[in-house]
Amino acid sequence: MSLARRAARPPAAAQHADAARTLAFLADLSQAFAVSLDLRKTLPEALKRVADFMQAEGASLFLLEPSTRVLECRICVGPVDMTGVRLAIGQGVVGLAVSDNATQLVADAVNDPRVWRAGDEGSGFVTKSLLCAPLATAAGPIGAIELVNRRDGQAFSAEDAEMLRLIAAPTALAINNARMANDLVEQQRMKREFDLARKLQKSLLPKRRRGLFPVLGVNLPAHEISGDFYDYFELADGRIGFVIGDISGKGLDAALLMIRAASLLRWAGKDGIAPGAWLARANDELCETTHDGRFVCALVGYCDRDGNNIQFAGAGFPPVLVYKRGAFSEYESGGPPLGIMAGIAYDAHDIALNGGSLYAFSDGATDVRIADGTRLGSKGVRDLIARHATLAPEPRLRGLLSDLKHLKLVDDTTLLLVEKPRAHNAQVLLEHHMPARAEHLRETRNALRKLLDQLGIEPALRDRLVLAVDEACTNIIRHAYGAEGHGGIGLRVSRADDVLSFELTDDAPCVDPTRMKPKPLGECRAGGLGIALIDTVMDTWHVEPASSKCGNRLILRKRIEDKGYS
Amino acid sequence: MSGIESENFDGAILIRLSGEVDLSWSQQVRHAVLAALESNPIVGVELSEVSYIDSSGIAALVEGFQTARARGSKFALVSVSDAVRAVLELARLDRVFLIVADRAAMLG
Repeated sequence: MSLARRAARPPAAAQHADAARTLAFLADLSQAFAVSLDLRKTLPEALKRVADFMQAEGASLFLLEPSTRVLECRICVGPVDMTGVRLAIGQGVVGLAVSDNATQLVADAVNDPRVWRAGDEGSGFVTKSLLCAPLATAAGPIGAIELVNRRDGQAFSAEDAEMLRLIAAPTALAINNARMANDLVEQQRMKREFDLARKLQKSLLPKRRRGLFPVLGVNLPAHEISGDFYDYFELADGRIGFVIGDISGKGLDAALLMIRAASLLRWAGKDGIAPGAWLARANDELCETTHDGRFVCALVGYCDRDGNNIQFAGAGFPPVLVYKRGAFSEYESGGPPLGIMAGIAYDAHDIALNGGSLYAFSDGATDVRIADGTRLGSKGVRDLIARHATLAPEPRLRGLLSDLKHLKLVDDTTLLLVEKPRAHNAQVLLEHHMPARAEHLRETRNALRKLLDQLGIEPALRDRLVLAVDEACTNIIRHAYGAEGHGGIGLRVSRADDVLSFELTDDAPCVDPTRMKPKPLGECRAGGLGIALIDTVMDTWHVEPASSKCGNRLILRKRIEDKGYS
Repeated sequence: MSGIESENFDGAILIRLSGEVDLSWSQQVRHAVLAALESNPIVGVELSEVSYIDSSGIAALVEGFQTARARGSKFALVSVSDAVRAVLELARLDRVFLIVADRAAMLG
C-alpha cells in the first residue's frame, strides 16, 4: 500500500499482491461480521482491524439516527476518543460523505474548509489528513467510516479512498442485517406481548353458566386483541350484575385499558349500588389515571334471577334494544363515556321485560359494513335480531355473530343478552329426503301434511305451512339446481318450545341470499310469487351456506300456539 | 288424480283442472290456458276439484288473465275450491281474477 513498499517491488507484481491482500482482508472482515449479530461485539474489533489495515492513526464509525437524522460517533479507535460526537448531515467531512453519498478525501486537513476542527481542540492532537466513506445501502447511507492521519505521516491517497470504499460495503451490509434482525426480534417480542394481552383478556370474560341463567354474552374481536369486554356476576342478594364495554382505539394500549376498565367496573358493581352510581364511581376512578385521550363506553346493570326486572345505565354506549313479540323499544345511554370528566351523574332505566329480550351491542355491531359500503346501523341490527328471534339464546347470538361476520366486520363486536331463562329442547319431528325433481314434490307435501295433522295444527295453518315448504322446494329445484342440475333435498322439521323449524338442505351451488327478495303480493305478475308466499306464511326465514364448499340451507320458522302437543 | 279436461260450449271453452297443481305439470296448465285463449273469446278454468295449487300454478292463471286482458277476451275462474281460494287470498289475488260460481255465470 505505502509508497515505500510499493516502490520495492515491480508495479504489476505489487498490484497483484496488494489485490490478494485486500481480498483476504475483505473476506476476514465479512467473516468477522458473520460471527455475531451483536454489533457491540463485532464493530469495535472490525474498526480496529480497518485502522491497522489502512495504517491509520485513528478510525471512527458514525451512524445515522433514523428518527432525528443526526450522525453520532458510536465507535472510535485511536488517540482521540470521538465517541458520542454528534454531527448534522452535511456537517464536517463525515456529514458531507453522508449528504453526498460519496467518499471524502482531505489531503491537507489544516487548510481544508470541509474539516470540522472542534475534535482537535484541547486534545493536542493535530488532524493532518482525513478519509471518510459513507456506509451505503439501497435505502441511502446509514452512516460513515472516517480515518484520521496515515501512520507514515503522508496524506491519504486516491487508492486509499478506493480501498476504504470497498471496506465500507461489507460493514454497511453487516449493520443493516443486524438492524433487520433486531426488528424481527422486536416484532416477536411484540407478538408475545399481544398474545399475553389476549390471554389476559380472555381470562377476564366470565365463564358461561350451566343451567338456567338470564345473561349471556359473546365477543368477536375484529383484530387479534379486543377493545371490547363483557362480564356478569352474582351478588349476595341473588341479583346478577352485568357489564358490557368498548374501549376507544385499537392495539395494545386499548387492550391494557380494557383490562383495567373491566376490573374496575366489576369492583365498582360488587356492592350492588344503583347503576348510575356504579358508573359514576368507575368514571371518577378512571378519570384519575386516564389522561391519554382514551375513553370507555360502557353499560352496567342488574337483573333478577328470572331475567325480568332490570335496572341499567349507559355511559356513551349505543342504545339498548328490547325486543318483544316483533316490536322494539330503545333505551338511550344516561351520560357520556367514562374517563373524560369526573363528577358526572348517570341516569338509569328500570324496566320489566315481561317475556321480552334485552340486547346490548357494542359499536361494532352497527359499524358493520354491508355490501354497498354503508354501515349496517341500528335498523340493520334490528332486522338481524328479528330474524333470529325464534332461536334459543346461544344459537341466536351465534347466528347474529355469524351474520355480522358474513358482512364485513370493521370493529370488535360484542353482544349481551338478558332474558327469562327457559329450557330450550329442540326435538326433531321429521326427516325426509326427496330427489330434486318436481314429480316428487307431492310425496313431500303428503309427509309434511301428515306430520302437521299429528301435531294437531289446524287445517288452514297446516295448508299454509305445506304451501310455504313446497314453494321452498320448488325454488330449490328451479333456481338452486337449475335446468341441468340434479341432486336431493333434505327436509328436517324440528320443534323448540312453540317454534317449528323447517330446514331444507341441498347440494346445489351456493345461492346469493340477497337475490332472494320477496316481491310485494297482490301484484298481478307471474314471477317471484313463491318467496313472497314463504315470507307471508313464515315468521322468519333465511338461507345460509350448508358447508364451505357448496350446498344451501334454507331455514323457515313459525311460532305456533302451544297447546301442549306431544 | 291430477288432470286437464276441456269442454267447448256456446263459443266458450272450459278447462277443468283436478288434483294437485304443482311444478310437475303447471307448464301443461299454462299451455292449455294460452292455447284456449288463442281461439276462444271466453275461457273459464274450473277449479272445484283442485285440492292444492302452488305459485307456479297461480302464475299460469295470472298469465292467462293478462293475455285475455290484452286481447279483450274474458277469463274467469269457475267454482273455486277452498284450497285454491286460500292460496289466492294469501297471494292477495282473490280480487284480481274474475271468480264465478258456475259455467252459467261464466257466460253471463
